[in-house]
Amino acid sequence: MRIFLSLVVLAVIAVGIGKTLMEIPFGEDTTNVGGYYIQSGRDDTGAANIVTSVVVGYRAFDTLGEVTVLFVAAVGLGAVLAVGSASGRRRDVEPASLVLYTGCRFLFPLILLFGAYIFIHGHLTPGGGFQGGAIVASAFLLVYLGCRGRRIRHGWSKATESLGGLVFVGLGLLGLTAAGHFFLSNYLPKGTVNHLFSAGIIPIIYVAIGFKVGAELAGVIDDLVEESE
Amino acid sequence: MVSPVLLIAVPLGLAFLVPLISLVSRRAAMLVPVVACLFNLVVAITLMPGVLDQPVVEKIGGFPPPFCINLYAGPVGVLFAALIALAGLGIAVYAMAYIRTGPVDRYHLLYLLLLVGATGVVLTGDVFNLFVFFEILCISSYALVAYMGNKSGLEASVKYLIQGAVGSGLLLMGIGLLYGQFGTLNMADIANRMGSVNQVSVFVPLALIISGLGVEAAIFPLNAWLPDAHSSAPSSISAILSGIAIEVGLYAMVRMIFTVFGATSILMFMVFLGALTLLLGELCAFAQSNVKRMLAYSSIGQIGLILFALAMATSYSVAGGLFQLLSHTLSKALLFLAAGYMIYRSGSMEISSLHGMGKRMPLTSLAFTIGAFSLVGLPPFVGFPSKFLIVRAALARQQSIFTILLGFVLLGTLIEGAYFFRVVQAIYFKKGSGETGRSYAPAVALVSMFIFAALIIFVGIYPQPVADAVGSAATELLDRAEYVRSVLQ
Repeated sequence: MRIFLSLVVLAVIAVGIGKTLMEIPFGEDTTNVGGYYIQSGRDDTGAANIVTSVVVGYRAFDTLGEVTVLFVAAVGLGAVLAVGSASGRRRDVEPASLVLYTGCRFLFPLILLFGAYIFIHGHLTPGGGFQGGAIVASAFLLVYLGCRGRRIRHGWSKATESLGGLVFVGLGLLGLTAAGHFFLSNYLPKGTVNHLFSAGIIPIIYVAIGFKVGAELAGVIDDLVEESE
Repeated sequence: MVSPVLLIAVPLGLAFLVPLISLVSRRAAMLVPVVACLFNLVVAITLMPGVLDQPVVEKIGGFPPPFCINLYAGPVGVLFAALIALAGLGIAVYAMAYIRTGPVDRYHLLYLLLLVGATGVVLTGDVFNLFVFFEILCISSYALVAYMGNKSGLEASVKYLIQGAVGSGLLLMGIGLLYGQFGTLNMADIANRMGSVNQVSVFVPLALIISGLGVEAAIFPLNAWLPDAHSSAPSSISAILSGIAIEVGLYAMVRMIFTVFGATSILMFMVFLGALTLLLGELCAFAQSNVKRMLAYSSIGQIGLILFALAMATSYSVAGGLFQLLSHTLSKALLFLAAGYMIYRSGSMEISSLHGMGKRMPLTSLAFTIGAFSLVGLPPFVGFPSKFLIVRAALARQQSIFTILLGFVLLGTLIEGAYFFRVVQAIYFKKGSGETGRSYAPAVALVSMFIFAALIIFVGIYPQPVADAVGSAATELLDRAEYVRSVLQ
């Protein structure tokens, strides 16, 4: 009986959502705000990558919120795990094989470099702060897997996280005092489109996000590694 | 001219600063929420006279409205921001003494971010931005519920997390469907285009959004997480969850119904749902023997009452609902804070263990009693004018259905009176079995409790300024055309 009832409810919801989806004109050029972004994103923000012009230009405030969501999640995880395992027990782990160890040491700087490339060029090519940051964190994950016993320094990762967030908020607040008087307005010169030094505050924000996300995810990995030992 | 974006940006900046501060001194982190709340309170009060005349539309990034995210600082937004800062300040002061164990710096950081999320939700004028701030609010509360690290806290937190995540998912689906149909995320722009599409296809996103927000707002039948979460969390967190978090959820829901959708057809359903939530909440509260669970169920009842008043959608009733919301925030925060130290001293959450507390902890007991009387709606406390406004508004509708529902609401209030008097009686007129020596809560905590108590009495005696503010807030919530015009002009 319960299963039957749940099936009926699910069917009603599915039909409702299906009917609504039929109303949405997929693939047609009707979205009014989206159309505007494609038309004038490049001129308004100076970023060659339209996705970036939306993410860090028109909707930069959402991005600030999302950076904060990640921050909350990392801090919350840390708080819950810190309470759960108050004892600082450490078990000696068997070291990884020489091949793995050497490979990790070889790849680590290359991955860091690639991550940095992704977030520095966020306003020119696909990618950006979040993606670059995730790549940077994956380098740290590799170290945890291959060079066991190595740890990031908590102080440094925390400081990087904080500074990344502060740069983002600080740049936004400067916008209130600079020309235009709007929070997060792009007050630096926009330069020539497609050049590395272009798009005003956008690349600075993306570099800050890259550092922040990288440090944050590395911190999360570190918290979880500690917990699982 | 002070910009309303400061209400979000400055506390957020301070929150990012906390890890750096705690590298120097872990204890210093506890001052940060206090500073941030003081700042927000000052900014909100400075903004208030201006927005009563003319709402401030803050364009973030400087692009014209449907293309940027805008903040809408009208009477509602600024009133809520002031309330969040005020309650946040009182509870942050209390927590300086109350939170002693565990990763203290992270507690204060998460607490501050919870307030940032709540402030963002009430000020934003963009549906996706609302979702983002809502997530900040929710995720920080999941973590804070589990702060004590005991089994019941973790269990409650996981329950809350699962239900909250499902709710957020529904909300996001609803927003996605809205974006698909309208091609815009700006609340005013969506409201403006609402008439241009098939009404049936708007109903599904409306239902998804209401059920998604209803989880956080603790509307029956979506509130199964609340009693566990509010009773297992540290008392300061119970106070902020009961006093701010569920109210903000309710605000978001009402904003969606009134402004974005203009859905007058479902208001009657919401009135019924409110009355039902009220009655069930009060009945469950009556049956509890655990004082914190009782307070948690009482919050469900109060949310039902507020929803009942808001959904009647006359300017009187919405003003009454917002007033009741304010009085619930002050009274329930005070109740949880007072109960926190009584539980701490007696070592148990059972009502029977509070016997004789009136002698052992006279000041804390007095604070608890003031909160209880105010929540029930006795004069001269703030609960009286707010409940009175609601009763008057329901009678002014002059329809028998509202009069009957009002009867149920008054029955709910009677039940509420019964269980609160039972606790007050236990505190003052029953003999305690164990120790009888006097003990006081720490001075900082007492100061915070008496700030709330003084506010409850002060607003109870002089309700006029608050009544004026909620009156213009009600006008803003009900006047959809004006909202659209002032954003898109």
